[in-house]
Amino acid sequence: MITQERYRTTVKELLANGSIKMAIGYKPGSTPDRRRPLFIRTSEEAEQLVLDSTCVQNLSGYLVSEGLLSDEKRVGIFLRPEGVRSINILAAEYQLNADQIVIFGFDSTGREVRPLDGRSAREFSGLLNELKEKPLQIYKEPLLERIEKMNAKERFDFWQEEFSRCIKCYACRQACPMCYCRRCIVDSNQPQWVNTSSHTLGNFEWNIVRAFHLSGRCVQCGNCDRACPVNIPLRLINQRMANEVLDGFDHFAGLSATQEPVLASFKKDDTETFIL
Amino acid sequence: MSELFEPKIVAFVCTYCTYAGADLAGTSRLKYAPNVRIVRLPCTGRISPMFILKALQKGADGVLVSGCHPGDCHFTHGNYHARRRWMVFRALLDFTGISPERVKFSWISAAEGSKFADLINSVTEDIRNLGPFDQYQQLIKETESPATL
Amino acid sequence: MAKIGVFICHCGENIAAKVDCTKLAAAMGEHPGVAVSVEYKYFCSDPGQESVKKAIREHNLTGIVIAACSPRMHEATFRKACAEAGLNPYLCEIANIREQCSWVHTDSEMATEKAMDITRSMVEKVKRNNNLQPIEVPVTRRALVIGGGIAGLQAALDIANAGQEVVLVEREPSLGGHMAQLSETFPTLDCSQCIMTPRMVETAQHPKIRLLTYAEVESVDGYIGNFKVRIRMKSRYVDMSRCTGCGDCITKCPAKKISSEFDCGLGKRTAIYTPFAQSVPNMPVIDKASCIYFKNGKCKMCEKSCQLNAINFEMQDEFIDLEIGAIVVATGFQIQNTAVYGEYGYGKFPDVITGLQFERLASASGPTAGRILRPSDGKEPENVVFIQCAGSRDPSKGVRYCSKICCMYTAKHAMLYAHKVHGGKTHIFYMDIRAAGKGYDEFTRRAIEEDEASYVRGRVSKVWQENGKLMVRGVDTLLGKPVTVVADMVVLATAMVPQHNAKEFAKTIGIAYDEYGFYNEAHLKLRPVESSTAGVFLAGACQSPKDIPDSVAQASATASKVLALFSKEKLEREPVIAINNEATCAGCWGCVLACPYNAIEKKDIRDRSGRLIKQVAYVNPGLCQGCGTCVSFCRSNSLDLAGFTEKQIFAEVMGL
Repeated sequence: MITQERYRTTVKELLANGSIKMAIGYKPGSTPDRRRPLFIRTSEEAEQLVLDSTCVQNLSGYLVSEGLLSDEKRVGIFLRPEGVRSINILAAEYQLNADQIVIFGFDSTGREVRPLDGRSAREFSGLLNELKEKPLQIYKEPLLERIEKMNAKERFDFWQEEFSRCIKCYACRQACPMCYCRRCIVDSNQPQWVNTSSHTLGNFEWNIVRAFHLSGRCVQCGNCDRACPVNIPLRLINQRMANEVLDGFDHFAGLSATQEPVLASFKKDDTETFIL
Repeated sequence: MSELFEPKIVAFVCTYCTYAGADLAGTSRLKYAPNVRIVRLPCTGRISPMFILKALQKGADGVLVSGCHPGDCHFTHGNYHARRRWMVFRALLDFTGISPERVKFSWISAAEGSKFADLINSVTEDIRNLGPFDQYQQLIKETESPATL
Repeated sequence: MAKIGVFICHCGENIAAKVDCTKLAAAMGEHPGVAVSVEYKYFCSDPGQESVKKAIREHNLTGIVIAACSPRMHEATFRKACAEAGLNPYLCEIANIREQCSWVHTDSEMATEKAMDITRSMVEKVKRNNNLQPIEVPVTRRALVIGGGIAGLQAALDIANAGQEVVLVEREPSLGGHMAQLSETFPTLDCSQCIMTPRMVETAQHPKIRLLTYAEVESVDGYIGNFKVRIRMKSRYVDMSRCTGCGDCITKCPAKKISSEFDCGLGKRTAIYTPFAQSVPNMPVIDKASCIYFKNGKCKMCEKSCQLNAINFEMQDEFIDLEIGAIVVATGFQIQNTAVYGEYGYGKFPDVITGLQFERLASASGPTAGRILRPSDGKEPENVVFIQCAGSRDPSKGVRYCSKICCMYTAKHAMLYAHKVHGGKTHIFYMDIRAAGKGYDEFTRRAIEEDEASYVRGRVSKVWQENGKLMVRGVDTLLGKPVTVVADMVVLATAMVPQHNAKEFAKTIGIAYDEYGFYNEAHLKLRPVESSTAGVFLAGACQSPKDIPDSVAQASATASKVLALFSKEKLEREPVIAINNEATCAGCWGCVLACPYNAIEKKDIRDRSGRLIKQVAYVNPGLCQGCGTCVSFCRSNSLDLAGFTEKQIFAEVMGL
């Protein structure tokens, strides 16, 4: 509660002195444990700001809305550490200028919310480096371990079962801050790389392509997973790919705004034990 | 005795090394299994993961991707980029149940005609032992009837 | 509507013996979009090609597939036939059913089945082929030669004598490079200056050559035929338009004790100086670091002595921007830093010198006027020991390669010494004598047989001083014994290494280099004078250690490459290049990073009022080599590769 009040005051101050033109935060949602994004432009709007442990959505995707940052004015945003990583990736991929983003960092343990030091993405580098060394515990999921233990056939069956429910609503894509493309490959029909019917084959292709495009870019914020209306455990695939690039290329997505995209760069001594 | 299973394998190769290596196997009249169909591309860097998915959709039981050895790329480092992509994509396929046994990667230079022939034989044999990719064939078959949603 | 022609070649029996061509032709004839499907014994023959052309015209074909040998054999042949029949040559695809089918399979039925798959998939691909036009790039017919040593001079003169413009850039105050430092040259023993200086003068006076000395290449942008090069003219403090090279200023300069770079520290020069007497241009520069005026604010003796008011202490560096069509890199080499030869006592004992220093001693215009004298006491040495492979072929010194010239120049040194100091004794420690070259082995034999050079096969482990003599401890591996030779002078055949800034300079011009910093050729055997960057050529020792004949030959080869490039007004290139869909590009610049050729630029998209809307990728068609690495990186599928488009590959795979 104290954190929320303090940040409310800060947002009001920064809006009043013109340091930021808007702050993106949270407000109450349709149920007590749900939060909705809040776009604060005035002191009154700041009154609606809520900051508690249920504020889980990674809001960074709103920053790349067409035109929001084109006037070069600064925008504030409430972010958990994963969100800060998103800012770094978006900056590294030239979708925004990190200097234009004022970060109101927070994190929570249980129901306790605490503020994080720093206002610009750069100031979080110490924290992010720590995160790289000890990845989030919550993703040591039993399900992930179970899948890893399956043989190929069982795994295929497991995922087909999951993907068979996919309705290709693309909510996962819309929720993801990294899916900023003007045209998604799935919408490209010359040629139609991804089958768009909701047969499992096309569902499988879509989810594979999505995961591949997020490899080395996903920060495990969980937006896609929460957005999925049929509860496909998308976080598991993303987590698996994050592990892959960390183990294989020592790449922890979003460590800094100058980090080279892992799949657009290489090292001559990259591992190649799998190549015949 | 049941008839020997003849797997369908699609290979994506770069024109400068592996394609030339395959030509060399031909001019040397080496004999190898007839199960592989080659798609020629300028460089391994051009080989998109989508190609592999489409080969599977076309009913391939296995896929082979091959190009120049590291340091030999005609385009100086297309193959280094490709190598990273493959490693990630391979892990992704593995995690979603497409065994790495079915999607193989190799370096074959323009001088390695016999390596090419041997590789085609061994890959064909491996995939033959794995058997048809029934699970994927099932997915393909489903698409012939209307979708449920 | 597609009208595809399928032409199935028997290749005599080569294909027909395994693949049932009749069955294949019939099956392809049934395939949607195929207008004509025929077989023939040899389509590559004249009548075969004629029949293809005839079919193209008669059936108004929109594309053809030749099912025959590898595209690496006859793709060009059939593309040409297409063009002659009025069909865009890029609407021709080859189905390789010989090298990759009939020759490698034993089962006829399976080979036929495979041939069908291969041909069908090419039919599906060719249906999506586009008319492509070779890319035309205009060519600026002006060459830049970087480096004024013998390689650079030769390249510049060859190009200029063929009537093309050349800009020659040399970073030192004078042309000449290392060759100007040499005394006599092997294997003919003609004087280096005598053959070099006329070349220098010819270069300076050539109407087609613009000479920029004391200048360095600052930046290179652009691509083959269209480079934009910025040259930094370092301030000489001497106005070249006024100076006549009378030398009064040099005589008057009070700072006379500066170690001469040209004489490798064996001679002295003034602060305002020309590197050597025959310098071209024969105009001095002021060495700012040694000039008394620049240090103390007082002196200006040179200014006072100059009757032409050519001295200008206020001079600043200037920049010249040039449009260039081709670049010859002839930046040469340096000798290895002698600090790594601690065991030989270089730097500690003044009479241990490098081969290049020996050249200066032997040179008639050198500090001793051609007499071989010890640097320590100016006496004639009676015993000289030469140590070959000082650094070369020695991984512990960081040089695994052979410097190539040392065997020859050491033999030459031994000869020159024998000619100049009668009764003098020479010992040459060597690993192998590498004397491959016209007249080279005869030359080393002469050194041994006529000039009594004593070759000792083995390495030297240590050099030390005892009673005013140099003691050289080595091993004679042929006798299997350690030996100690008493010497008055020791000459080290130091390794040739790349220039100190070779790697940074390679990055400036955008060419590749090896682990040492020597510049990489595009292909060691087949394209030895081209760099990995189109339009940039390599001459001389910047590519690898070379002697004068090799450097000159390579320089002339680069000139012929440059002239071939300049023989046309426009360059034609294969149109297999990437193209970007600017409407869908998200501007993430992953492609910019992925491109091996820096061919992708950021392009601003503005609205009518000039406001920046977004930035997108733009593929420079002059630089793109068509690998497609960017295409498979592009998440939004905005990039595509002409000739291997997403649509084509998709169809090809789905046609299998």
